[in-house]
Amino acid sequence: MSTKIITPVAQFAELLPQEYKDLVAHGPYHERRSVRDLGTFKEIVDEHPHCAGCGVALAVRLLAAALPSPADTLIVGTPGCSFFSLVQTALNYSNTAFGNQNAVAAGLKRMLEIRFPRVHKDVVVVAGDGGIADIGLDLTLHSWFRREKITTVMLDNEVYANTGGQESGMSRQGRVLNMAPRGKLFPKIPVFELAKVSGCVYGARVTVAGPYKVGRAVRNAVLLARELGPTYVQVYTPCPTNMKFPPDQTLRVAKEAEKDHYSFEEFMSAEAAEYLTRLKATSEESEKAPELAKP
Amino acid sequence: MYVTVKVEVEKCNGCKLCVLSCPDPNVLAYKQEEKHVVVNEHRCKGCGLCATVCPEEALTVSGN
Repeated sequence: MSTKIITPVAQFAELLPQEYKDLVAHGPYHERRSVRDLGTFKEIVDEHPHCAGCGVALAVRLLAAALPSPADTLIVGTPGCSFFSLVQTALNYSNTAFGNQNAVAAGLKRMLEIRFPRVHKDVVVVAGDGGIADIGLDLTLHSWFRREKITTVMLDNEVYANTGGQESGMSRQGRVLNMAPRGKLFPKIPVFELAKVSGCVYGARVTVAGPYKVGRAVRNAVLLARELGPTYVQVYTPCPTNMKFPPDQTLRVAKEAEKDHYSFEEFMSAEAAEYLTRLKATSEESEKAPELAKP
Repeated sequence: MYVTVKVEVEKCNGCKLCVLSCPDPNVLAYKQEEKHVVVNEHRCKGCGLCATVCPEEALTVSGN
């Protein structure tokens, strides 16, 4: 886990694929990039096999652009749609058995803190609603109770998308799905509310219709998890394949959800608010006087 | 190539909404010098989100 891993040996540089060369020359590893800069640099997420108009794919792309230090970030995932693109990114990625991701991430974070005591190694769980709210709910909650310094990002498409559209715990009540033809009988699991009372120092509920909000939430969550404790971001990622809407309507569906049941919400502890204010002041200072920041 | 994306560069106002809405990375890029977006059609799956969000109707997606 070092930026040196992406520097090719000079003798082999010619033989490397163009994508790799672009990543080394114009990627976000050495320069600070954000969601705002998308379209102007070589992204660390490259091609992926998601369906056309996929909300999860868009969320993964925004998330990867928002990471404060991608070369020092370890993503922990679980089987599901989220994993399709994550295994193909130029990020450190570890897959787990379904539902174990927060336990594995907590162990890896502790190990990295011992191995690299002077460097921030961010561990970010990126999993779907099935992995976090259903099968992995107890391990997720316990990682929060133990105040593990990891970020959990739920890509909530409100369905088990890659296995044919079964209802998940996060599906809305009454929602008719491929494999729930009579409609779901129970309400959504309130994971966001659980995060508030289970020890998370920061939480945000966003949709892919607000790319800057997604970027800001992920960045805040990762920065706060470094110092203070667990953080949680819940992103609504509508699924055109299973929800049966045209793929060009993903953002319209997300916007409607914002008005309906997925309004933007953010919470943070007093300590977290103070930390972010301090961080903002420091970065503004260094931006105002870049010559002072140089050694 | 199965998808064709046409960008009418004279209509593009450089807002980058299409870039931020595309689920696939490295399909749409923003040319800072020319101040308009360009498309890599080889990577495009043709969902049409870019055309839906464009306030200037500068993009047209066809094919697939």
